[in-house]
Amino acid sequence: MIDTVLFLLVDGLTNGLVYALLALSLVLVFTVTRVVNIAQGEYVMLGALTLADLLQGRMPGTLYLLIGGLALCAVLDAGRWRRDWRRAALYTGGLIVAGVAALALTRGALALHLPVIGMMAVALLLVAPLGALIYRFTVHPIPNASTIVFVIISVGVSMSVQGLGLLIWGANPYPVEPIAAGGVMMGPVFIPYQSFAILITALLAMGGLYLFSEFTLIGKALQASAMNRLGAQFCGIPVNLTGALAFLLAAAFSAVSGMLLAPLITANYEMGFMVGLKGFVGGAMGGLIDYPLSLIGVMIVGGLESTSAYVASAYRDVLVFSLLIPILLWRNTRARAEAR
Amino acid sequence: MRLFSAVSALAALAMSATATFAADRPELRIGSVVAMTGPASALGLPEKNAIDLLQERLANDTSLPFTVKFITYDDGSDPTKAVNNVRKLITEDQVHVVICCTTTPTSMAILETVTQAKVPNISLALGQSVIEPASERRWIFKTPSTDQLQVTGLVDDMVKRGVKKVAFLGLEDSFGEGGWIAMQSVAKAKGVDIVASERFSRTDTNFTPQALKVRQSNPDAVYIHAIPPSSALVHQALKRVGYTGPIYHSGGSANNAFISIGKQDVEGALVGTTPVLVYTDMPDSNPLKPVIAKFAALYEKRFNVPKVDIFPGQSWDAVNITLRAAEDAVKAGVNFADVPAARAMLRDKIEGVKEFVGVGGIFNYSPTDHLGLDKRSTFISVVKNGEFRLYESK
Repeated sequence: MIDTVLFLLVDGLTNGLVYALLALSLVLVFTVTRVVNIAQGEYVMLGALTLADLLQGRMPGTLYLLIGGLALCAVLDAGRWRRDWRRAALYTGGLIVAGVAALALTRGALALHLPVIGMMAVALLLVAPLGALIYRFTVHPIPNASTIVFVIISVGVSMSVQGLGLLIWGANPYPVEPIAAGGVMMGPVFIPYQSFAILITALLAMGGLYLFSEFTLIGKALQASAMNRLGAQFCGIPVNLTGALAFLLAAAFSAVSGMLLAPLITANYEMGFMVGLKGFVGGAMGGLIDYPLSLIGVMIVGGLESTSAYVASAYRDVLVFSLLIPILLWRNTRARAEAR
Repeated sequence: MRLFSAVSALAALAMSATATFAADRPELRIGSVVAMTGPASALGLPEKNAIDLLQERLANDTSLPFTVKFITYDDGSDPTKAVNNVRKLITEDQVHVVICCTTTPTSMAILETVTQAKVPNISLALGQSVIEPASERRWIFKTPSTDQLQVTGLVDDMVKRGVKKVAFLGLEDSFGEGGWIAMQSVAKAKGVDIVASERFSRTDTNFTPQALKVRQSNPDAVYIHAIPPSSALVHQALKRVGYTGPIYHSGGSANNAFISIGKQDVEGALVGTTPVLVYTDMPDSNPLKPVIAKFAALYEKRFNVPKVDIFPGQSWDAVNITLRAAEDAVKAGVNFADVPAARAMLRDKIEGVKEFVGVGGIFNYSPTDHLGLDKRSTFISVVKNGEFRLYESK
């Protein structure tokens, strides 16, 4: 009995940490841009599959997405040439340099046969910019749209990215090497080293985000746009850039969680959406604005998920998503109490 | 002059010979609808390849008492498109036999169409509901094995090992449900208790809770009805929680992805399979071996694939069964020009096919059995040193 509880606890915690990175991304994106990003889970998939490609020595399909996105960016900004050709040339030049750099980086990494950690860094550099590009294509053109419009757009982005994933990688699952193979017996419970890697990385990511937003100018600009977008704009903060930055960082966090998760469950084109939704349920606990509460939320989700899979496996997703109802009721009464 | 008349006589003879020959060889039209695009294209494309291969081989074959015209359409894995294309085959192309479709949903969608038009159909789908009950599915046959047949083969082996209690782990979709239904009825018939039934989905991130539950129900054997990656991951989870008994898998795991994901953890896994996967290990006395070996060599050479999988064999068998039935029909004096009568006779002759050795097994159709396969066509493979090897049931 005791070992069952331990197993469920360890697994619940591991999954909770994976969802925590997702909740972190969702809160970051929502506070800075007011976008409830349903598509956040797709970066999990992109991160995992990019890593799988790199580890097996293939050119990752993400590279084509990235270069295609950069090219589309250049086309969308064609209007700039008439107004100010110098800056436009600089901008387009920058895009080309970025594309070439990404290509060179991937080639180099493949030629050098980097270890798993190195490949993870390369995959991160390939996936994270996609967040900023998607911001440029979907949010940037309509900065004042209502929340519901953004939700619908993000559903569209999720479907499109998943479709592209299926097109590029096919429906096959790809096994991914863990950072460290094997594991350790702790009492009756076998814990893979990968679970520790998830713990350490999640803590590093959270700490890093905290330090970044408290102690750097860009981080403070990010916070300012999160608190009051209009006010931040009046203070001369380029809110469009902070929005893009938020999307980029969120994509990075989610991609990392995908790369950590992949060795446990393999990488495939449909792995992201569910993970994203579970991160969302956890994030809802903090109203998508409160980091510590969101963390508590994802831990509850992880724990409930593993216990419900044990008790009544056919209903585990029903139970996890039903959690939203008490969470929203609780938030509602809290909001009312505060209003009084 | 004499030479000239001799030559012209010979020419006339030759011409009349070709004429009578062409008249002697009526045209059999086989229409097929497979999923060349869409989600099921991984199954549909090899099926189409096999039909193409047979078409190429028949083009120069004069041994058959008829010529064969193949008409093949794509259904995009979409039931509506499948129905439209089958209608087109029946009314416009006037085919004698339809081979459709790749998946169970598409095959179910066209039942009404072929039954009303009274056209024999051979389905390539896994689902048993496509052909059962045979009294209502008078015009429908199929070539792939079924869950029921495979589960029976596996449970027979469990019984031989003295298994009394089995735990079921399955995907919570139509595939897993099919396995669950088959397992329930087979276990009941063979006197094996199902002590646990756990579900998971392809997008789950953790399979340990279900594995724990299964281990605690203390089964003598576990049966997993899923496809990779989850089938391999569930297997790993069972190992992780310390389950050491035999683990059986459905045919959904009989592919390389299962081994490449499960690695050494799936060593010893017992996987239900069709003959194609393990024919090289069969004894030479097995009648299936030469048939499959010939087909595999042809297919692998023509399409440049390292190892043939189960899907092309299904359409290959469907066409060959049609040809066998058509030969029988010719002997019975069929007139292919009278399409409705020819269709009815071909149906009867397909139902009369006996001991036909195909790639997927030995077919014996009958008025009550439109699957036609039995125990001789299901095999168990065991994962040994990262390969599927034929497992000899003790």
